[in-house]
Amino acid sequence: MNHKMFMIILAFGLIASSFGTYFAKEPRLVKGSAVGQTVTVDGDTGVITWSTTSSGVYFALKQLLPIQVMAFYLKRGFSDSQIEPYTQSCVFMAVLRNDSAPGPIHFISNNWPVDVKGQLHRPLSVNQWVDLLSTTEVKKSALIAFRWAQFPIEQQYEPGGDWNQGMISVGLKAGSQFTLLAKWDVKGKPYHAKLQGVSCAK
Amino acid sequence: MSKESPTMQNYKGSAVPNNIIPIFILLISFCSNPVISGADTSPPLTHKLSPVKESWTAPGIRLKNMDGEVIDIKDLKGKVIIVNFWATWCPPCRREMSSLEDLYQETSNKGVDVIAVNIGEDPDAVFPFLGNLEAYPSFQIVFDAEALLMDQWRVQGLPTTFIINKDGKVIYKAVGGREFNHPLMRQKIMELTK
Repeated sequence: MNHKMFMIILAFGLIASSFGTYFAKEPRLVKGSAVGQTVTVDGDTGVITWSTTSSGVYFALKQLLPIQVMAFYLKRGFSDSQIEPYTQSCVFMAVLRNDSAPGPIHFISNNWPVDVKGQLHRPLSVNQWVDLLSTTEVKKSALIAFRWAQFPIEQQYEPGGDWNQGMISVGLKAGSQFTLLAKWDVKGKPYHAKLQGVSCAK
Repeated sequence: MSKESPTMQNYKGSAVPNNIIPIFILLISFCSNPVISGADTSPPLTHKLSPVKESWTAPGIRLKNMDGEVIDIKDLKGKVIIVNFWATWCPPCRREMSSLEDLYQETSNKGVDVIAVNIGEDPDAVFPFLGNLEAYPSFQIVFDAEALLMDQWRVQGLPTTFIINKDGKVIYKAVGGREFNHPLMRQKIMELTK
Protein backbone atom coordinates (compact mmCIF):
# COMPACT_ATOMS: atom_id res chain seq x y z
CA MET A 1 0.00 0.00 0.00
CA ASN A 2 1.52 3.34 -0.95
CA HIS A 3 1.72 6.30 1.41
CA LYS A 4 -1.11 8.28 -0.18
CA MET A 5 -3.51 5.34 -0.10
CA PHE A 6 -2.69 4.66 3.57
CA MET A 7 -3.41 8.26 4.54
CA ILE A 8 -6.76 8.27 2.72
CA ILE A 9 -7.88 5.03 4.42
CA LEU A 10 -6.74 6.40 7.77
CA ALA A 11 -8.74 9.58 7.19
CA PHE A 12 -11.90 7.64 6.32
CA GLY A 13 -11.41 5.48 9.39
CA LEU A 14 -11.12 8.51 11.62
CA ILE A 15 -14.16 10.17 10.09
CA ALA A 16 -16.24 7.00 10.58
CA SER A 17 -15.12 6.56 14.16
CA SER A 18 -15.64 10.24 14.95
CA PHE A 19 -19.24 10.05 13.74
CA GLY A 20 -19.74 6.96 15.86
CA THR A 21 -18.40 8.77 18.90
CA TYR A 22 -20.47 11.85 18.12
CA PHE A 23 -23.77 10.02 17.94
CA ALA A 24 -23.01 7.77 20.89
CA LYS A 25 -22.51 10.79 23.15
CA GLU A 26 -25.53 12.71 21.89
CA PRO A 27 -28.40 12.57 24.44
CA ARG A 28 -30.74 9.84 23.21
CA LEU A 29 -34.51 10.31 23.08
CA VAL A 30 -36.34 7.46 24.79
CA LYS A 31 -39.44 6.07 23.07
CA GLY A 32 -42.70 5.64 24.92
CA SER A 33 -42.36 8.66 27.18
CA ALA A 34 -45.51 10.51 28.25
CA VAL A 35 -47.10 13.02 25.90
CA GLY A 36 -45.49 16.45 26.07
CA GLN A 37 -42.38 15.33 27.89
CA THR A 38 -38.93 14.51 26.62
CA VAL A 39 -36.72 11.80 28.06
CA THR A 40 -33.05 11.77 27.16
CA VAL A 41 -30.22 9.49 28.17
CA ASP A 42 -26.71 10.86 28.42
CA GLY A 43 -24.51 8.78 26.13
CA ASP A 44 -21.54 9.02 28.47
CA THR A 45 -23.05 8.36 31.89
CA GLY A 46 -26.43 6.74 31.20
CA VAL A 47 -28.02 9.42 33.39
CA ILE A 48 -31.65 10.15 32.40
CA THR A 49 -33.25 13.60 32.14
CA TRP A 50 -37.01 14.15 32.00
CA SER A 51 -38.16 17.55 30.76
CA THR A 52 -41.27 19.34 29.62
CA THR A 53 -42.47 22.83 28.76
CA SER A 54 -45.85 23.98 29.98
CA SER A 55 -47.43 27.43 29.58
CA GLY A 56 -44.04 28.96 28.78
CA VAL A 57 -42.22 27.32 31.70
CA TYR A 58 -39.46 24.73 31.24
CA PHE A 59 -39.13 22.06 33.90
CA ALA A 60 -36.56 19.26 34.06
CA LEU A 61 -35.39 16.58 36.44
CA LYS A 62 -31.97 15.05 35.85
CA GLN A 63 -30.93 11.92 37.73
CA LEU A 64 -27.99 12.29 40.06
CA LEU A 65 -26.13 9.15 40.95
CA PRO A 66 -25.65 8.65 44.72
CA ILE A 67 -21.89 8.65 44.15
CA GLN A 68 -22.13 12.06 42.41
CA VAL A 69 -24.11 13.52 45.31
CA MET A 70 -21.66 12.00 47.78
CA ALA A 71 -18.65 13.46 45.94
CA PHE A 72 -20.25 16.90 45.81
CA TYR A 73 -20.91 17.06 49.56
CA LEU A 74 -17.63 15.46 50.63
CA LYS A 75 -15.97 18.36 48.85
CA ARG A 76 -18.18 20.79 50.80
CA GLY A 77 -17.01 19.40 54.17
CA PHE A 78 -19.44 16.60 55.04
CA SER A 79 -18.13 13.19 56.04
CA ASP A 80 -19.51 10.21 54.11
CA SER A 81 -21.54 8.98 57.09
CA GLN A 82 -23.03 12.42 57.65
CA ILE A 83 -24.30 12.86 54.11
CA GLU A 84 -25.08 9.23 53.24
CA PRO A 85 -28.80 9.40 54.20
CA TYR A 86 -29.25 12.24 51.74
CA THR A 87 -27.27 10.55 48.96
CA GLN A 88 -29.55 7.49 49.28
CA SER A 89 -32.78 9.51 49.13
CA CYS A 90 -33.17 9.67 45.31
CA VAL A 91 -31.75 13.05 44.43
CA PHE A 92 -32.32 14.91 41.16
CA MET A 93 -31.05 18.13 39.66
CA ALA A 94 -34.17 20.21 39.08
CA VAL A 95 -34.36 23.11 36.64
CA LEU A 96 -37.29 25.50 36.37
CA ARG A 97 -37.15 28.43 33.97
CA ASN A 98 -39.73 31.06 33.08
CA ASP A 99 -39.23 31.55 29.36
CA SER A 100 -42.57 33.03 28.35
CA ALA A 101 -45.25 32.57 31.02
CA PRO A 102 -48.01 35.20 30.95
CA GLY A 103 -46.36 36.92 33.94
CA PRO A 104 -44.03 36.33 36.88
CA ILE A 105 -44.41 32.83 38.26
CA HIS A 106 -44.40 32.08 41.97
CA PHE A 107 -43.92 28.65 43.52
CA ILE A 108 -43.35 26.82 46.79
CA SER A 109 -41.51 23.62 45.91
CA ASN A 110 -42.46 21.87 49.17
CA ASN A 111 -46.00 21.79 47.77
CA TRP A 112 -45.10 19.75 44.72
CA PRO A 113 -46.84 16.37 44.96
CA VAL A 114 -44.90 13.16 44.35
CA ASP A 115 -47.16 10.32 43.21
CA VAL A 116 -46.00 6.73 43.59
CA LYS A 117 -48.43 4.21 42.06
CA GLY A 118 -51.40 6.45 42.85
CA GLN A 119 -50.31 7.14 46.41
CA LEU A 120 -49.24 10.63 47.47
CA HIS A 121 -45.70 10.53 48.84
CA ARG A 122 -44.35 13.34 51.00
CA PRO A 123 -40.55 13.73 50.80
CA LEU A 124 -38.62 15.55 53.52
CA SER A 125 -38.48 19.29 52.92
CA VAL A 126 -35.20 21.18 52.59
CA ASN A 127 -35.61 22.56 56.12
CA GLN A 128 -36.24 19.06 57.49
CA TRP A 129 -33.06 17.85 55.82
CA VAL A 130 -31.10 20.79 57.25
CA ASP A 131 -32.47 19.99 60.72
CA LEU A 132 -31.61 16.31 60.31
CA LEU A 133 -28.06 17.06 59.22
CA SER A 134 -27.58 19.76 61.88
CA THR A 135 -27.90 17.23 64.69
CA THR A 136 -24.53 15.73 63.81
CA GLU A 137 -21.03 17.21 63.91
CA VAL A 138 -21.43 18.90 60.57
CA LYS A 139 -19.41 22.02 59.75
CA LYS A 140 -21.43 25.19 59.37
CA SER A 141 -19.94 25.89 55.95
CA ALA A 142 -21.06 22.43 54.80
CA LEU A 143 -24.60 23.09 56.01
CA ILE A 144 -24.70 26.45 54.22
CA ALA A 145 -23.56 24.77 51.01
CA PHE A 146 -26.19 22.07 51.50
CA ARG A 147 -28.98 24.58 52.08
CA TRP A 148 -28.16 26.73 49.05
CA ALA A 149 -27.36 23.86 46.69
CA GLN A 150 -30.96 22.69 47.06
CA PHE A 151 -33.63 23.80 44.62
CA PRO A 152 -35.27 26.97 46.05
CA ILE A 153 -38.00 26.39 48.61
CA GLU A 154 -39.92 29.44 47.40
CA GLN A 155 -39.13 31.65 44.44
CA GLN A 156 -40.48 34.06 41.87
CA TYR A 157 -39.28 34.12 38.25
CA GLU A 158 -39.92 36.90 35.79
CA PRO A 159 -40.55 35.91 32.15
CA GLY A 160 -37.56 36.10 29.82
CA GLY A 161 -35.28 33.62 31.48
CA ASP A 162 -35.31 33.79 35.29
CA TRP A 163 -34.40 30.31 36.48
CA ASN A 164 -32.65 28.15 39.05
CA GLN A 165 -31.15 24.75 39.15
CA GLY A 166 -30.75 22.85 42.38
CA MET A 167 -30.91 19.48 44.05
CA ILE A 168 -34.23 17.99 45.00
CA SER A 169 -34.72 14.82 47.04
CA VAL A 170 -37.86 12.71 46.59
CA GLY A 171 -37.09 10.28 49.42
CA LEU A 172 -37.56 7.04 47.49
CA LYS A 173 -35.47 3.90 47.04
CA ALA A 174 -33.13 3.42 44.07
CA GLY A 175 -35.04 2.43 40.94
CA SER A 176 -38.43 3.68 42.25
CA GLN A 177 -40.76 5.29 39.72
CA PHE A 178 -42.94 8.32 40.38
CA THR A 179 -44.80 11.26 38.87
CA LEU A 180 -43.94 14.78 39.98
CA LEU A 181 -46.15 17.81 39.52
CA ALA A 182 -44.34 21.16 39.57
CA LYS A 183 -46.93 23.76 40.53
CA TRP A 184 -46.77 27.55 40.27
CA ASP A 185 -49.14 30.44 39.95
CA VAL A 186 -49.27 33.55 37.81
CA LYS A 187 -51.19 36.35 39.53
CA GLY A 188 -53.01 33.74 41.61
CA LYS A 189 -53.95 31.52 38.67
CA PRO A 190 -52.58 27.97 39.11
CA TYR A 191 -50.43 26.22 36.51
CA HIS A 192 -48.44 23.01 36.53
CA ALA A 193 -46.00 20.84 34.63
CA LYS A 194 -46.12 17.07 35.05
CA LEU A 195 -43.24 14.63 34.64
CA GLN A 196 -44.34 10.99 34.53
CA GLY A 197 -42.43 7.74 34.80
CA VAL A 198 -39.46 9.41 36.45
CA SER A 199 -37.13 6.88 38.03
CA CYS A 200 -34.54 7.14 40.78
CA ALA A 201 -30.98 6.38 39.73
CA LYS A 202 -29.72 2.92 40.67
CA MET B 1 13.32 28.62 9.67
CA SER B 2 14.43 26.85 6.56
CA LYS B 3 15.02 23.60 8.34
CA GLU B 4 11.96 21.36 8.21
CA SER B 5 11.13 18.97 11.01
CA PRO B 6 11.94 15.30 10.40
CA THR B 7 8.24 14.50 10.33
CA MET B 8 7.54 16.93 7.55
CA GLN B 9 10.55 15.66 5.62
CA ASN B 10 9.14 12.17 5.77
CA TYR B 11 5.95 13.38 4.07
CA LYS B 12 7.80 15.34 1.42
CA GLY B 13 6.77 14.33 -2.07
CA SER B 14 3.21 13.35 -1.12
CA ALA B 15 0.29 15.66 -1.95
CA VAL B 16 -1.83 14.27 0.88
CA PRO B 17 -0.18 15.16 4.23
CA ASN B 18 -0.39 18.94 4.00
CA ASN B 19 -4.16 18.69 3.59
CA ILE B 20 -4.79 15.84 5.98
CA ILE B 21 -2.99 17.16 9.05
CA PRO B 22 -5.39 20.09 9.51
CA ILE B 23 -8.32 17.70 8.95
CA PHE B 24 -6.99 15.42 11.70
CA ILE B 25 -6.70 18.38 14.05
CA LEU B 26 -10.27 19.43 13.26
CA LEU B 27 -11.57 15.88 13.76
CA ILE B 28 -9.82 15.50 17.09
CA SER B 29 -11.15 18.82 18.38
CA PHE B 30 -14.63 17.95 17.05
CA CYS B 31 -14.69 14.63 18.88
CA SER B 32 -13.30 15.93 22.16
CA ASN B 33 -15.56 19.00 22.53
CA PRO B 34 -17.96 18.16 25.38
CA VAL B 35 -20.52 20.75 24.27
CA ILE B 36 -20.72 19.41 20.74
CA SER B 37 -20.87 15.83 21.99
CA GLY B 38 -23.95 16.63 24.04
CA ALA B 39 -22.42 16.03 27.45
CA ASP B 40 -23.41 19.55 28.59
CA THR B 41 -27.17 19.89 28.70
CA SER B 42 -27.32 23.04 30.86
CA PRO B 43 -29.98 25.61 29.91
CA PRO B 44 -28.78 28.60 27.88
CA LEU B 45 -28.03 31.85 29.68
CA THR B 46 -30.12 34.88 28.76
CA HIS B 47 -29.35 38.59 29.12
CA LYS B 48 -32.65 39.75 30.60
CA LEU B 49 -32.72 42.14 33.56
CA SER B 50 -36.15 42.40 35.16
CA PRO B 51 -37.22 45.72 36.68
CA VAL B 52 -38.27 45.31 40.31
CA LYS B 53 -41.89 46.36 40.86
CA GLU B 54 -41.06 48.85 43.59
CA SER B 55 -37.43 49.86 43.94
CA TRP B 56 -36.02 49.42 47.42
CA THR B 57 -32.98 50.79 49.19
CA ALA B 58 -30.03 48.45 48.80
CA PRO B 59 -29.09 46.84 52.14
CA GLY B 60 -25.55 47.32 53.37
CA ILE B 61 -22.61 45.15 52.47
CA ARG B 62 -19.51 45.35 54.63
CA LEU B 63 -17.38 42.26 54.17
CA LYS B 64 -13.78 41.19 53.69
CA ASN B 65 -12.39 40.64 50.20
CA MET B 66 -9.83 38.11 48.92
CA ASP B 67 -7.01 40.07 50.59
CA GLY B 68 -8.79 40.43 53.93
CA GLU B 69 -9.59 44.11 53.36
CA VAL B 70 -13.03 45.35 54.40
CA ILE B 71 -15.15 46.48 51.45
CA ASP B 72 -18.13 48.70 52.19
CA ILE B 73 -20.78 49.28 49.55
CA LYS B 74 -21.30 52.76 51.02
CA ASP B 75 -17.95 53.76 49.54
CA LEU B 76 -19.38 53.23 46.06
CA LYS B 77 -22.16 55.78 46.54
CA GLY B 78 -23.01 57.60 43.31
CA LYS B 79 -22.03 54.66 41.09
CA VAL B 80 -24.20 52.07 39.40
CA ILE B 81 -23.45 48.88 41.32
CA ILE B 82 -23.93 45.28 40.25
CA VAL B 83 -24.24 42.96 43.25
CA ASN B 84 -23.91 39.27 42.41
CA PHE B 85 -24.52 36.48 44.94
CA TRP B 86 -22.66 33.30 44.07
CA ALA B 87 -20.69 30.22 45.14
CA THR B 88 -18.10 28.07 43.39
CA TRP B 89 -20.28 24.95 43.73
CA CYS B 90 -23.16 26.61 41.85
CA PRO B 91 -22.86 25.70 38.13
CA PRO B 92 -24.66 28.75 36.67
CA CYS B 93 -22.61 31.02 38.97
CA ARG B 94 -19.47 29.54 37.47
CA ARG B 95 -20.78 29.93 33.94
CA GLU B 96 -21.59 33.62 34.28
CA MET B 97 -18.46 34.75 36.13
CA SER B 98 -16.30 35.40 33.06
CA SER B 99 -19.02 37.46 31.41
CA LEU B 100 -19.31 39.53 34.58
CA GLU B 101 -15.62 40.30 34.33
CA ASP B 102 -16.08 41.29 30.65
CA LEU B 103 -18.85 43.68 31.66
CA TYR B 104 -16.72 45.13 34.45
CA GLN B 105 -13.79 45.66 32.09
CA GLU B 106 -16.02 47.53 29.66
CA THR B 107 -17.85 49.72 32.19
CA SER B 108 -15.67 50.21 35.29
CA ASN B 109 -14.26 53.51 34.03
CA LYS B 110 -17.76 54.74 33.18
CA GLY B 111 -19.31 54.79 36.63
CA VAL B 112 -20.15 51.10 37.10
CA ASP B 113 -18.83 48.81 39.83
CA VAL B 114 -19.27 45.14 40.64
CA ILE B 115 -19.32 43.34 43.99
CA ALA B 116 -19.56 39.55 43.94
CA VAL B 117 -20.71 38.20 47.30
CA ASN B 118 -19.56 34.64 47.83
CA ILE B 119 -21.82 32.57 50.05
CA GLY B 120 -20.46 30.15 52.65
CA GLU B 121 -16.90 29.78 51.37
CA ASP B 122 -13.51 31.32 52.06
CA PRO B 123 -10.64 32.69 49.92
CA ASP B 124 -8.81 29.33 49.99
CA ALA B 125 -11.83 27.60 48.43
CA VAL B 126 -12.47 30.32 45.87
CA PHE B 127 -8.92 31.02 44.68
CA PRO B 128 -8.47 27.81 42.61
CA PHE B 129 -11.74 28.44 40.76
CA LEU B 130 -10.83 32.05 39.97
CA GLY B 131 -7.41 30.97 38.78
CA ASN B 132 -8.99 28.71 36.19
CA LEU B 133 -11.10 31.45 34.63
CA GLU B 134 -10.07 32.97 31.31
CA ALA B 135 -9.42 36.24 33.11
CA TYR B 136 -8.98 36.53 36.87
CA PRO B 137 -11.80 38.82 38.11
CA SER B 138 -10.63 42.36 38.76
CA PHE B 139 -13.83 43.37 40.59
CA GLN B 140 -14.28 42.91 44.33
CA ILE B 141 -15.12 39.45 45.62
CA VAL B 142 -16.28 39.52 49.24
CA PHE B 143 -17.13 36.70 51.63
CA ASP B 144 -20.39 36.17 53.49
CA ALA B 145 -19.28 33.00 55.27
CA GLU B 146 -22.47 32.72 57.34
CA ALA B 147 -24.85 33.58 54.45
CA LEU B 148 -26.27 36.39 56.58
CA LEU B 149 -26.96 38.71 53.65
CA MET B 150 -29.29 36.28 51.88
CA ASP B 151 -32.34 37.31 53.93
CA GLN B 152 -31.48 41.01 53.93
CA TRP B 153 -31.17 40.99 50.13
CA ARG B 154 -34.17 38.65 49.66
CA VAL B 155 -32.07 36.06 47.84
CA GLN B 156 -33.85 32.71 47.45
CA GLY B 157 -31.49 30.94 45.08
CA LEU B 158 -28.02 31.24 43.55
CA PRO B 159 -26.98 33.04 41.51
CA THR B 160 -29.00 36.21 42.00
CA THR B 161 -27.88 39.60 40.73
CA PHE B 162 -29.14 43.06 41.61
CA ILE B 163 -28.53 46.34 39.79
CA ILE B 164 -28.43 49.41 42.02
CA ASN B 165 -28.83 52.88 40.59
CA LYS B 166 -26.79 55.95 41.52
CA ASP B 167 -29.31 56.76 44.28
CA GLY B 168 -28.69 53.45 46.02
CA LYS B 169 -31.98 51.86 44.97
CA VAL B 170 -32.33 48.29 43.69
CA ILE B 171 -34.04 48.64 40.34
CA TYR B 172 -33.22 45.47 38.37
CA LYS B 173 -32.94 41.84 39.40
CA ALA B 174 -31.81 38.70 37.60
CA VAL B 175 -32.48 35.25 39.07
CA GLY B 176 -30.29 32.52 37.59
CA GLY B 177 -27.23 32.68 35.37
CA ARG B 178 -26.86 35.50 32.86
CA GLU B 179 -24.73 36.49 29.90
CA PHE B 180 -23.47 39.76 31.35
CA ASN B 181 -21.32 40.65 28.35
CA HIS B 182 -24.30 40.78 26.00
CA PRO B 183 -24.53 44.22 24.29
CA LEU B 184 -28.16 44.73 25.40
CA MET B 185 -27.23 44.01 29.01
CA ARG B 186 -24.36 46.51 28.82
CA GLN B 187 -26.59 49.10 27.17
CA LYS B 188 -29.22 48.79 29.90
CA ILE B 189 -26.62 49.25 32.63
CA MET B 190 -24.90 52.14 30.88
CA GLU B 191 -28.23 53.97 30.61
CA LEU B 192 -28.28 54.12 34.41
CA THR B 193 -25.01 56.02 34.52
CA LYS B 194 -26.48 59.02 32.62
